Amino acid sequence: MSDFHNRSQVSARRSDYVWQYEYYDDEEPVSFEGLKAHRYSIVIGFWVGLAVFVIFMFFVLTLLTKTGAPHQENPELGEKWHQPEGCLVDINGHQDDNDKAFSRPLLEGSRSYFNFYISEEDQAHEKQKPGDKRSSAKDKAGRLQRSGELDEMDEDIEESGAHQPLNGLIEKSKSDRECAFLSHFNIPNFVNLDHGSTLGEDDLLYEPSVILERQSQAHNGHCDTH
Amino acid sequence: MNQTGCPEVKVPFPVFFTVGIVSLAENLLVVVAVMRSRNLHSPMYCFMCSLAAFNTIASVTKTWENLMIVLADAGHLERRGPPETDLDDVMDSLLCMSFVGSISSFLAIAVDRYITIFHALRYHNIMTMQRTAAILGLIWTSCAVLAVLMVKFFNFQFIVICFIVFFVVSLAAICFLYVYMFMMARIHAKSIAALPGGGRDKSQHQRRWGSNMRGALTLTILFGAFVVCWAPFFVHLVIITVCPMNPYCECYRSLFELHVVLMMSHALIDPAIYAFRMAELRHTFRKMLFCSGWKFCL
Repeated sequence: MSDFHNRSQVSARRSDYVWQYEYYDDEEPVSFEGLKAHRYSIVIGFWVGLAVFVIFMFFVLTLLTKTGAPHQENPELGEKWHQPEGCLVDINGHQDDNDKAFSRPLLEGSRSYFNFYISEEDQAHEKQKPGDKRSSAKDKAGRLQRSGELDEMDEDIEESGAHQPLNGLIEKSKSDRECAFLSHFNIPNFVNLDHGSTLGEDDLLYEPSVILERQSQAHNGHCDTH
Repeated sequence: MNQTGCPEVKVPFPVFFTVGIVSLAENLLVVVAVMRSRNLHSPMYCFMCSLAAFNTIASVTKTWENLMIVLADAGHLERRGPPETDLDDVMDSLLCMSFVGSISSFLAIAVDRYITIFHALRYHNIMTMQRTAAILGLIWTSCAVLAVLMVKFFNFQFIVICFIVFFVVSLAAICFLYVYMFMMARIHAKSIAALPGGGRDKSQHQRRWGSNMRGALTLTILFGAFVVCWAPFFVHLVIITVCPMNPYCECYRSLFELHVVLMMSHALIDPAIYAFRMAELRHTFRKMLFCSGWKFCL
């Protein structure tokens, strides 16, 4: 019998003391005399702190969206704007070589964000092979928007892109931008594009630049021939 | 009972039942949709399915517990009998498991999104379906083990402290991952806008500002909901460990049922923040719910 009493004492401390709340009467009653502050001061303090934290987080995020100076445009990019999708295939082919070159987070992020769409396109092609009968544009659109909150960022990129209504064309322009973006690696002041970054990793960009130039020259060669 | 004290705030049972049943329906829908639809068999959707499954367990357990409370209040059940306390232990274990599991699922989703963005070239090599299955198996077994241990040894303060530390560390990790992804995405969006053909005229700037705000709002909702729903319960755990006899702490403890409702409502809004935002999943839902037998629904 004492076992059950002990267990119920213990369980009074657990979440089920919603049932057995009267056990607090058996223990020493909490005295409420002589309270200096309001009774619910901890509750109020906790919720105010939580609200301040959430609002602070929101302001920090909106502040992050305003960091970074406007970037300079590069006239050379205009020439490479209308490259066909052939360079897509090449990029995927050099996957192993790229691993070392793009192990730096900042750069890898730069390329990887574009390649997010490339790998998605591959997945879409693979999935279509078993014979899913769906319109390819819609399928690709569905695949492109995998991550929930990145949907906004997807739209952002599409808006700042070539303003083409069809998803297929948008992918094409993204691949074109990929080729254009690669051409940046040959330019010494590529670092300036990302000087909005607050991460302080600009130094890292210089180290793999030699590897990058070799890679990008190979890619540019493919881009140029198509 | 001391009348000048803080009376317990009672939440009516219909509220518990409504929240429990609606969250059960939503999460079950997500689980069924992911399992039935073949093109949703990717790591991202598997982690969301796991999150929805943990939320389903939590909803079922809470609803069942409330049912038992109603029956006990009506006198049909003995509160301190051995079958009831055993059943109560089982339910506490399931709740602990679902809590630890949903936090682990959040962490897994954040890591998956991180790999998707920053290691996209190697994503299909890093995150194969076998590895996903292994990760999910690990999450489920460790949650089950932890839950049993925690309920058996709850009177050890060490366990409660572990719980709290796990919560804080997970929150910090998820926060860091998402903010980092957000920052990098902003930078790349700016880089793209710098390319010719975009980002120069005023309407472009305004649209970009609008989408920036939306991104910030989304992340705030994601974290805000998590923190607002889970933190009160955790502060409750801290308080019963640190100051059980303090009158101020007693007043905080009197709001226990409100905090439980908050926790349950997180299971309710989780699908809205994670699963229903993905176009592929919404498309599958529409197919499942509205198109059974209609020929023109492809």
